[in-house]
Amino acid sequence: MKIAILSGKGGTGKTTVTSNFAINIKNSISLDSDVEEPNLHIFMDMKNSTSEPVYTYFPSIDKKLCTLCGKCGDFCNYSAIIPAKNKVIVFKESCHDCGGCKLVCPNGAISYDKREVGKIFKGKTKYNTDLSYGALNIGEMSGVKIINQLKRSFNSDERTTFIDSPPGTSCATVEAVEGVDYAIIVSEPTPFGVSDMKMVVEMLREMRIPFGLIINKAGLGDDEIYNYSKIEKIEVLGEIPFDKKIAELYANGENFSESIPEYQNFFKNIYKNIIEGRGSL
Amino acid sequence: MNINEIVVISGKGGTGKTTLTASIIPYLEDLVIADCDVDAPDLNILLDPKIIDTHKFIGLKKAIIDHEKCIKCGLCKTHCKFNAISKEIILSQSKCEGCGVCEYVCPVDAIFMKDAVVGELYESKTEFGDFIHAKLSPGEETSGKLVSEVRKIAKKRAIENSKKNIIIDGSPGIACNVISSITGSSQVIIVTEPTFSGLHDLKRIYELTQKFNLKVQVVINKYDISFKHSDLIIKYCKENNISVGLKIPFTKKIVKSIVDKTIPSIKEFEFFKEIGFFKFVDTLKQ
Repeated sequence: MKIAILSGKGGTGKTTVTSNFAINIKNSISLDSDVEEPNLHIFMDMKNSTSEPVYTYFPSIDKKLCTLCGKCGDFCNYSAIIPAKNKVIVFKESCHDCGGCKLVCPNGAISYDKREVGKIFKGKTKYNTDLSYGALNIGEMSGVKIINQLKRSFNSDERTTFIDSPPGTSCATVEAVEGVDYAIIVSEPTPFGVSDMKMVVEMLREMRIPFGLIINKAGLGDDEIYNYSKIEKIEVLGEIPFDKKIAELYANGENFSESIPEYQNFFKNIYKNIIEGRGSL
Repeated sequence: MNINEIVVISGKGGTGKTTLTASIIPYLEDLVIADCDVDAPDLNILLDPKIIDTHKFIGLKKAIIDHEKCIKCGLCKTHCKFNAISKEIILSQSKCEGCGVCEYVCPVDAIFMKDAVVGELYESKTEFGDFIHAKLSPGEETSGKLVSEVRKIAKKRAIENSKKNIIIDGSPGIACNVISSITGSSQVIIVTEPTFSGLHDLKRIYELTQKFNLKVQVVINKYDISFKHSDLIIKYCKENNISVGLKIPFTKKIVKSIVDKTIPSIKEFEFFKEIGFFKFVDTLKQ
């Protein structure tokens, strides 16, 4: 069972919800796929992690074989390879690693070199659960490859996996939620929270992923989110009230269901309802 | 003429980029406004724009498979590096990156590449100036390209109408959309919050801005939620010679103002005056 936690808007509490699920659901795995700004490992207190690099590939030209015919440049849709007068210029950062230039080269002059775009860290948390997260190298354009490799690094059908997803609804988010059994949207009762959540709902429906909603910071804003969920028939799985104590615990990198134990059942019950509702496991 | 392009970013999401951007807007004269958070645009909620013009945004081309011609040989699936083609030879629109390899390897010409509309771009008027904003279709690539387009139009409007300032609401993270938002800008404001994650993410986004040699200042939002972490942020800024331009205490008044869809610095003028907000805005002028 794979469950993605996402939000559209940043800062609504994705990581908080993910870590509190992970520590309350026995034997679960958690993945932080917000590779641009990963934070889950801070809350889960990961010890002695090991890391592996994530590579992307870019073309390298054998000058002896290249006839400057220009076919590679004509083919590339990313302007990553441009044949100039005396040599072929490669813009590595623009390359999507599609393999097209090598295919079209009539002289076998193209091979690929690798370049690190980020890392995957893997280890045990202080709660004795498994955690893995990706981190994009600063200055790199896209974390999609890292997310893809991250999800493959802990691919278990038996154990429940929680995936903390990136904000927004672009390609990185799609990669993070692709193939999950269920998604939990975490949003807040403000106009921004509702507006960004609508884009997530549209995305999940298009991807045919079942989902429910956790309203965080309940009581802080207005009722728009409740009205919207009602009209759209979105199940509200639970609400976490706006509470200064929870905010302070978060600020200090702590999981609030540890200090406020009544929330342990809150997360366990939501999980139970999701599993029962789906009639699996 | 030198245009003063101010970008508001944060690394971590939800720290208050849009709230701060909206609050600055009424007090910068000669202004063009741009929302570059194209996969979660919210500035329009507070600015009440009148849309004058809407353009379709064409991203990269995408593959179209003609199932009548397809012989299901699977060559396209084997060659696709983006896992965008399934065993049944069905293309996933959101995974296709438009490289054209499948079209090239198909032995029966059953695949062709077609321009894909992946978002919309709006040119609007607001009472504070022209407003350029956009919306990427959920699940799409090329948000960096759309961001560049928004900035290009904003700059064009500024030059045409001799506007001195452009303010840009950026997106969270550190990848292509953020890089496209900040490259070549005049100054960057990083909005952070005093939490463990806030500081962690601030360091990453600051490092990114330094790759582009940008002038940076930091705003600490909700700074009284944790004095301990505010002090840690201030210490980090001191060590790196970053100026902390403003500290905003937490108040439900700002949330209330957003819920009412009003600009906080107008509605809660006195509060903003007290915290030194208008002096901060003066530092942004060139």
